[in-house]
Amino acid sequence: MELQDFSHVRAILEHYPPERRFLLAILQDIQKHYNYIPRASLEMVRDYLDVPLSKLYSMATFYKALSLKPKGKHVIKVCDGTACHIKSSQVIIDEIKKVLNIVPGTTTGDGKFSLETVNCLGSCAVSPVMVIDDRFYGRVAPSMVRDILAEYGRLENERA
Amino acid sequence: MEIIIDGKKCEAQYGEYVLNVARRNGIQIPALCHYDALPGQATCRLCIVEVEEGGRKKVVTSCVFPVTGEMQVFTNSEKIQRMRKNIIRLLSARAPNNEFIKKLRQEYGLLPETRFSGDDKENCILCGLCVRACDETGISAISTVNRGIEKKVSTPFDEASEACIGCGACAFVCPTGAIKMLDENGIRHLWNKDFELVRCEKCGEYFATREHIEYMKKKYGEDKCCSFCEKCRKRIAGEKMAASYRK
Ligand code: SF4
Ligand code: FES
Ligand code: FES
Repeated sequence: MELQDFSHVRAILEHYPPERRFLLAILQDIQKHYNYIPRASLEMVRDYLDVPLSKLYSMATFYKALSLKPKGKHVIKVCDGTACHIKSSQVIIDEIKKVLNIVPGTTTGDGKFSLETVNCLGSCAVSPVMVIDDRFYGRVAPSMVRDILAEYGRLENERA
Repeated sequence: MEIIIDGKKCEAQYGEYVLNVARRNGIQIPALCHYDALPGQATCRLCIVEVEEGGRKKVVTSCVFPVTGEMQVFTNSEKIQRMRKNIIRLLSARAPNNEFIKKLRQEYGLLPETRFSGDDKENCILCGLCVRACDETGISAISTVNRGIEKKVSTPFDEASEACIGCGACAFVCPTGAIKMLDENGIRHLWNKDFELVRCEKCGEYFATREHIEYMKKKYGEDKCCSFCEKCRKRIAGEKMAASYRK
């Protein structure tokens, strides 16, 4: 059940003229506000822009920045591009898995963290790279992971 | 204007696609994602040919390559054969058990695949023709979903789509028969939705879904359509014509 208040979707929509070219911007705004794209909001966008639902769904499932499931409060992006991969990004990912008990593409049970992998953040010189929300971490070593995550609050999923 | 395809002189119109010119002249180029009424996918890549224009050769997809001047086309050069074989292997890595693709493998003398393995139950090659057909009807009930290796064609949330009218255009154009449409006991099953089928008022055969007929009525007007199946409609038109001659 989506017991949410969608008045903000209205506000977002009214911010844009009802033209199809604003579709992505609108979806991004919704994602930003709700941390995901609620189903009801897709239907509101459909009615506002007169775009078929299938096209909206297609877009929402195409872009990694958009998500149909609620994302965590903090989004962890671990770069798994070529350079980072060579610098053992996989080990970083494994470490996060261990600490938070989630796999890439999922969110912790308490809704605090989502884990994602991305392909090259353009900072290969300081690989392996990880970004949490808008903060950037370069030359990440597995041993640093726990401390970095702890900056974002108690790690509830942590196994004792 | 005239172009040369595999050594044969072919009459062509400016802007016509090479594939169509070839077919009209009895030269067969394999193609999956091309449908005359819905050109422009160019996703299956099977229809590649070599084109020589102004002394320069290049490989193009003939289903979307327009004739603009003098050209020579080679539909089966060694290079094309080699490339096409690879394309077929890739398509069959996607849909290993598909009859159409298996037949292509055979035609091109491909040995059983050892390098690629795919999903035995997959039939869709993601050419997008069905999505295009649905868009063209003005319904847009289906779309590509996800991306990369998870890409597929589906309805929003994989649910029975509110928009779909069960016209079957998608299943009809699909080159690999990947869209499962089943008519049984007056019900059409398609895209997780069940549609009531309606009988032709003349011959009594089921011919379209209730939703499809409603849609047509709205689009073309109540009186213009919708009570008879295709066959009977033609017959009625013919009879009318004959009657008018007799007068
Ligand atoms: S059957 Fe439904 S999905 Fe297929 S083309 Fe018709 S309206 Fe679109
Ligand atoms: S590969 Fe990770 S920043 Fe370039
Ligand atoms: S028929 Fe030309 S690319 Fe598919």
